[in-house]
Amino acid sequence: MATASPSVFLLMVNGQVESAQFPEYDDLYCKYCFVYGQDWAPTAGLEEGISQITSKSQDVRQALVWNFPIDVTFKSTNPYGWPQIVLSVYGPDVFGNDVVRGYGAVHVPFSPGRHKRTIPMFVPESTSKLQKFTSWFMGRRPEYTDPKVVAQGEGREALQKAVFSVHGFTSPRPALVHIKGT
Amino acid sequence: MAEVHVIGQIMGASGFSESSLFCKWGIHTGAAWKLLSGVREGQTQVDTPQIGDMAYWSHPIDLHFATKGLQGWPRLHFQVWSQDSFGRCQLAGYGFCHVPSSPGTHQLACPTWRPLGSWREQLARAFVGGGPQLLHGDTIYSGADRYRLHTAAGGTVHLEISLLLRNFDRYGVEC
Repeated sequence: MATASPSVFLLMVNGQVESAQFPEYDDLYCKYCFVYGQDWAPTAGLEEGISQITSKSQDVRQALVWNFPIDVTFKSTNPYGWPQIVLSVYGPDVFGNDVVRGYGAVHVPFSPGRHKRTIPMFVPESTSKLQKFTSWFMGRRPEYTDPKVVAQGEGREALQKAVFSVHGFTSPRPALVHIKGT
Repeated sequence: MAEVHVIGQIMGASGFSESSLFCKWGIHTGAAWKLLSGVREGQTQVDTPQIGDMAYWSHPIDLHFATKGLQGWPRLHFQVWSQDSFGRCQLAGYGFCHVPSSPGTHQLACPTWRPLGSWREQLARAFVGGGPQLLHGDTIYSGADRYRLHTAAGGTVHLEISLLLRNFDRYGVEC
């Protein structure tokens, strides 16, 4: 009994952006958003958010904790374009300006259950030393106009000469449930 | 037609003596496979390890294949290059790995190698850079003519790949 219409399935993501480790920076907040293909659409929940500003704990862990909830449900007919969560972390520099401290992206897990993901974050860097100095001095570092570029596979060689690895780790913890439609 | 979704990330690379690495990746399949959505090849950004020796790319891969046969199961191949401050690129390693054939999420570590030349070329590479490269990229993922090469080990490329299979049981394939 073949059905002509494509089957719709739902993907529910519940979790949190738990914490980060950025050895060099403090007083950080993070923004999350989702990047997904054309066959996907969010049906419930928020697909973007901005967290609170957090400071490092005084103990030996030096943890930056956000405990920031993520709650979204997608519907789709095709696994192509599986959603990715894009995280951007911002913090103040020496002069008090808000600068980007890291971008990172990861696919939402593919199987139901509890998952923990640790994401490396990276930051664009200018190639010329003079530009690096002026951007440090002016507080205007290279930044992506649209953070969603981090989740795309094409055109990343154009990000070449522009990436520098700051090792901060954030841990989103989604649990997800697959519901198959008719 | 049976369908395969390959979704994941090239997480990064470790164990290379050079820093400032980028990776050109591609996927090779047999004649029975057809790419329905996604890009078959790409290039990551350049990354310089700050802590430890792992360069992180987090390069997303999202491919949707339809196939009529199991022959030519997809193989991912990589060329890892390093870039110096003058913008010159030098080969750091070639590697390939098969896409897993069981559904689910897999962590893959792909070893790499680079061709060694004569002792003169090795000396030149140490001082001036450059070094021999393969003329034909398909030697990276095929076994033919490999016996002609003398190579040295490079580092490891790390991937996290998830596989979703569809309609394979209709064709009598158990997975």
